Amino acid sequence: MPKLTIDGKEIEVEAGTNLIEAARRLGVEVPHYCYHAGLSIAGQCRLCMVDIEKTPRPTIACNTQAADGMVVHTDTERVRQTRQSMMEFHLINHPLDCPVCDQARECWLQIYYMKDDLYDPRMTDEEGHRHKAVPLGPHVMLDAERCILCSRCVRFCDEITGGGELGIFHRGDHSEIGLFPGRDLVDNYSANVVDICPVGALTDRDFRFQVRVWYLDTAKSICTGCARGCNIEVHVNRRRPHHAEGRRVARLKPRFNADVNAWWICDVGRYHFGFVDGPSRLTAPARRGPGGPVEIGWDDAVAAVAEAVRRHPPEEVAVLASPRMANEDLVALRRLLEVQGIRQVAFDVPPAAPAEGDDFLLRADRTPNRRGAELIGLGGDAAGILAAARGGRLRCLWVFHHDLLAAGWPSSEAAEALGRVETVIFTGTNANATSDRAHWVLPAAAWVEREGTFTNFEGRVQRFRTAAEPLGGALTEWDLLGRVLGAIGHPTAATRAEHWFRDLARTVGAFADMSYQSVGDTGQMIAGATSAGAPVPPGRRARIPA
Amino acid sequence: MAETVLMRNFDRANSHTLDVYRAAGGYGAWDKAGTMEPAAITEEVKKSNLRGLGGAGFPTGMKWSFIPKGHTGPVYLVVNADEGEPGTFKDRYLLERDPHALIEGMLITARAIRSALGFVYVRGEYVQPWRVFSAAVKEAYAAGLLGNGFDIVVHRGAGAYICGEETGLLSSLEGKKGWPKIKPPFPAIKGAFGQPTIVNNVETLACVPPIISRGAEWFAGLGTKTQGGTRMYSVSGRVKRPAVYEASVSITLRHLIERAGGVSGTGRLKAVVPGGGSAAILTADEIDVTMDVDGLKVAGSMIGSAGVIVMDESVSIPEALLVLARFYAHESCGQCTPCRESTGWIYKMVHRVVDGHGHKDDLDTILDVAKRGGGTTICAFYDGAIGPYISYIEKFRPEFEALIGT
Amino acid sequence: MTEPLNTGSGAPRASNRPPTERAGLTSPGTTTGLAAPATTVIAFSGAQLEEVQRLQSLYPDPRGALLPVLHLAQETFGWISLPVEEYVAGLFALSPAHVHEVVTFYTLYFQQPTGRHIVAVCHNLSCHLAGSRDILAHVKRRLGIEVGQTTDDGRITLQSVECLCACEAAPMAQVDDRYELNLTPARVDRILEGLR
Repeated sequence: MPKLTIDGKEIEVEAGTNLIEAARRLGVEVPHYCYHAGLSIAGQCRLCMVDIEKTPRPTIACNTQAADGMVVHTDTERVRQTRQSMMEFHLINHPLDCPVCDQARECWLQIYYMKDDLYDPRMTDEEGHRHKAVPLGPHVMLDAERCILCSRCVRFCDEITGGGELGIFHRGDHSEIGLFPGRDLVDNYSANVVDICPVGALTDRDFRFQVRVWYLDTAKSICTGCARGCNIEVHVNRRRPHHAEGRRVARLKPRFNADVNAWWICDVGRYHFGFVDGPSRLTAPARRGPGGPVEIGWDDAVAAVAEAVRRHPPEEVAVLASPRMANEDLVALRRLLEVQGIRQVAFDVPPAAPAEGDDFLLRADRTPNRRGAELIGLGGDAAGILAAARGGRLRCLWVFHHDLLAAGWPSSEAAEALGRVETVIFTGTNANATSDRAHWVLPAAAWVEREGTFTNFEGRVQRFRTAAEPLGGALTEWDLLGRVLGAIGHPTAATRAEHWFRDLARTVGAFADMSYQSVGDTGQMIAGATSAGAPVPPGRRARIPA
Repeated sequence: MAETVLMRNFDRANSHTLDVYRAAGGYGAWDKAGTMEPAAITEEVKKSNLRGLGGAGFPTGMKWSFIPKGHTGPVYLVVNADEGEPGTFKDRYLLERDPHALIEGMLITARAIRSALGFVYVRGEYVQPWRVFSAAVKEAYAAGLLGNGFDIVVHRGAGAYICGEETGLLSSLEGKKGWPKIKPPFPAIKGAFGQPTIVNNVETLACVPPIISRGAEWFAGLGTKTQGGTRMYSVSGRVKRPAVYEASVSITLRHLIERAGGVSGTGRLKAVVPGGGSAAILTADEIDVTMDVDGLKVAGSMIGSAGVIVMDESVSIPEALLVLARFYAHESCGQCTPCRESTGWIYKMVHRVVDGHGHKDDLDTILDVAKRGGGTTICAFYDGAIGPYISYIEKFRPEFEALIGT
Repeated sequence: MTEPLNTGSGAPRASNRPPTERAGLTSPGTTTGLAAPATTVIAFSGAQLEEVQRLQSLYPDPRGALLPVLHLAQETFGWISLPVEEYVAGLFALSPAHVHEVVTFYTLYFQQPTGRHIVAVCHNLSCHLAGSRDILAHVKRRLGIEVGQTTDDGRITLQSVECLCACEAAPMAQVDDRYELNLTPARVDRILEGLR
């Protein structure tokens, strides 16, 4: 393992480590644009120059591998001068769009310029002009004038998705990023190019002009778009409710996890948050009245639900749990079922149209916690429960999240089923045809409004954190289930999600010895399961070596 | 005056044909090389002090020895016939008048580096030379010289000066834009199609058969202590007899200009570009320099491709710089930031100065930008561009200043 | 549907080049009198496809044949339109964007129809010293067009190009496949007359 010195500090790294990564380990960030650890080395921006003793000229750090005895300086006068020159070259044809550019405050031209340069510009000639505000597919907006031609997006489309949609056309300072004329960037990973673009050349159409990034808070989370559970950050606007029409969740961004999704997320998951601040959101408990839902307080709602559950023999009560529920919610639900002796439970309501996975991250199973629901023992016969309801054998049916009328069985049957049940309880985040038919509606907090864990398809337990307050009076499922448990005479001592997780670790073998600490920010595999790691990107399969 | 080595066949009728080449002793060196060990061929070329004649002047034998020992996969020999340096036209003559000299040189070199496949990259505009050379290749195949352990693929370029840069050429050969490759790895380690590759200029390889048949010492003795042989100087501009002239690499610029008939126009020398457009310009009192790699390096310029452009006193140096600044802006491949941005910027500034709209800081800005970008790029294109940017302004500054504020 | 990027008059007018002739780039301004055959079906003949395969087999990676095949396509279809790029991309299992990169990078691939003849006058240093500006002005006057344009009768497209490496015979031009050397106005006239 080569041992080298960077800025006077010694470090040992694996053979093959480049100097940007080696410096990072020491907390030294070498400025760069075109380098990205998930993509091939381009060596084009020339910003990551460092001084290496015994080398006459500054060298780019991204393409230099750590060698034993190497002595590197990242902050000499010469390096600073070189960096300033490179920054000047990047900026001479760059439009001063900052006031209208979404990238402001997370733009790496701004960041490095403010940090290191602050020189007086001397370019007085007219800048080159290129196409602005060009949609590249449904999610990405291109401003080719702002582009610094780092080629990250081109390499992404070649090496990660394999689509090769983007190119750099022409040459010299006429060079311009673009798609093949007439084509679109339509693939399920298109918006990743927005993440990797260091400047505002590629921006998110959904996020465009919504809110300035310095008003955003972030929380670490897990995507709920499918069973892979890609690691994400949720960015919320809590301080400027008059922006973005009051929507709190502004965007989702991928979070690096070497074993799940590497640096990437798919577009399906990336945009799977509109429901959180959407108009159909349920914000208060309600009972069904003659003219529509009547809002009630939580105490009343809990009392009514407890009564409905307790009143009937357990054979006449059924629960349709959901693989969207967190582990903590599911274990709380299981407690309720146990104390009441309710055996009819299932979570596998078939989707209306079976979804497909793709050859990279997206799974066909579009729920985040099927594995958790299985392990916690809530699997059963959902169709059987529906049949029992239709056959008049159920008095009380509690549905979590599902819209039974938009599932993979005839909606007339589902409507009939719901019609024949004396008490239908619905718990979910958003109203739907099922909640419309429920007698009692208990609003659930969305996953970004609370913390908890999901278990992904491989058995990786992953934490998600609170990014925003629950909307209105919505409660987490474990909280409202705990209140119901209290109302039926089995109070729980749990006051936090973590308490339920400890309960889970105690009672379900797969989660034995797990804690929020051990799960951490990168997740933990359940007992006996191994991870296959992040999948090889399609663009890297069957590659002819360059 | 040295003997004619490279141009020895040029004036024979049908010099481009196999029969005429053979009748003049051609392929005798290849026969001899066939009895030599590959390493011995490389040693001979090392001893000859042959240095690359395309522009970089790198010792040829040393370059060949960079192929990793024990490499069992393919090794490619790529010939750079993408002649494009302003003022240079020698390779065009070799391709048209003595294509078999190149083929023979390739055969010998391929044996030395253990290559079974060679590519000759001919610039797209050289249609006639491409046809002549391709016909010669066909003759060589018919005669069993090729196709018997060594194949040649002739590949036409499509118009880009940067494809004369060795790794830009390789990218283009691979069917991509002519973007030079980041180094390391160097072509001898990982070149065309990911394999060890030697890239040599046409003229460099044309030297190889004479070196083998007449010996390294002879070749070395024709030149200077650090560079052997003769080379073909392309002389143009304000001279009475623009043409290609072969001479020992020890010839001085003064003598070369005399051979070309002396200065035309006003008859009074003002400046000379000694090594193709990318070489720093020399003033009239700097022409006693020897036209070899080290001689010109010491003089602060470079021999490059040995394209000599003579300027008499009626030439406007700012206009000459404008012509070259436009060239570099047009030919920058655009891959790396310093070159892409500053070739365009400097062109704009020089244009303004020549048009009479220059600002008083422009000259210093141009010089500063040029110097700051030097040594920072992926390839030497920009280092070539700054040769003129800096030397024309530094050596003829009053002429530029006279245009500012007019 | 994205805006096509390689537009002629649709592209932003403010160029990042100073107002001189665009040096021989492959996007001429207005073209009139188009000479290329109106090909509606883009396809190589069987023999040409065999040639494509032969060329691809010469290179360790078949992609190496891209430049030669693009030359073949240009000879066949007259110029390289977007459908031609897509067609060639299909022959190489390349994304059309990457073929477009290659076509827009090199100056000898024409992305718009050209005249039956291309006259490319060199304007680099030695030719400049030998009076290329006057030769170019003469050509423009004779043909009545600017650089990048094609004559109304579809005969000639005029370009102004970088060093063609025939400096010993400056000023000079490339006319179709051949170099025309030591140009004078009279010689230019004879050459242009001979282009039908």
